[in-house]
Amino acid sequence: MIKIIRNFIKRIFHQIFQGKKHIRLGLYGPPNAGKTTLANRISLDWLGEEVGKVSKVPHETREIMVKEKIIIESKEGKKISFNLVDTPGIATKIDYEDFLKFKMNKKDAKKRAKEATKGVIEAIKWLDNMDAVIVVLDSTLNPYSQVNLTIIGNLAAREIPVLVVANKIDLKKSKIKKVENAFPQYDVVGVSAEKGHNIEEFYESLFRVVK
Amino acid sequence: MPHQCVRCNKVYSDGSQELLKGCDCGGKFFFYVREKHLKKAEEITQKLTKEEKKQIEEDIFDIVDMEKDDRPVILDLETIRVLKPGKYELDVVKMFKGDSLVYKLDEGKYIIDLLSTFKSLRERKK
Repeated sequence: MIKIIRNFIKRIFHQIFQGKKHIRLGLYGPPNAGKTTLANRISLDWLGEEVGKVSKVPHETREIMVKEKIIIESKEGKKISFNLVDTPGIATKIDYEDFLKFKMNKKDAKKRAKEATKGVIEAIKWLDNMDAVIVVLDSTLNPYSQVNLTIIGNLAAREIPVLVVANKIDLKKSKIKKVENAFPQYDVVGVSAEKGHNIEEFYESLFRVVK
Repeated sequence: MPHQCVRCNKVYSDGSQELLKGCDCGGKFFFYVREKHLKKAEEITQKLTKEEKKQIEEDIFDIVDMEKDDRPVILDLETIRVLKPGKYELDVVKMFKGDSLVYKLDEGKYIIDLLSTFKSLRERKK
């Protein structure tokens, strides 16, 4: 108990005198864009452990997942310390029949749809707690979707710093230019979270966005 | 604005006694429907079987993390539309705005749950 109180006081002291250096960094985006893959990449790079399971079936992440105290360092020695918050994919339509294609049984598919809907509410609820957000988009798809525009528009309205990640640049259909054109007022970085392509530039962009 | 009983599809207007006590059929779960969507809402609910309606009722309670009790509950059809168990349409624009998702009735008053609570928390923070 005394240890807990001591740690608490230490933390408060640290926050008051060191300024707010520890932030909450959220990963937002539509389902299957690669949020958890990117979260795993970041966490593996700096902590050596994964955040969550990834799957080809949409809505694999249906609950908020937090990886605490990740500290990343730039080439110039700048540091950012953050809690990484991986969120469920935000969608306008969730249909259990879409999951049946992946050889899932009806009961499990319906349960998945229900949990995914709950996940969308959770993700939106958490938005106000974020200090900065990485919006992860699938660069092989049309960026002008209602979900993408709504997420980015709401982040702008809340004045939360945004880094747009155009994921899956390793795929032939990837069109990073289209993502850049859709969101010209934002830092857009193309990566392949799965293959690790361009991850160094991603970290550099993160340092630019999160000051 | 009309309210439609999830179980028997009966439509009640605003301020009806049934909304406070529950529907004649015993149901205490209502869809809140705007006039312009009334026809569509009726079409959707009429096609549902008894089992499906029951399932929707249970799923919604789970989704909004609410204990099932004796108070009537009203689900805003504009924010989350449940077409069938496992089929959902979400109005993310409204959800981000913090528009209310579920209203719970208590002693004749509307208590706004969930998203609007977050909205007011946000406003308080400012």
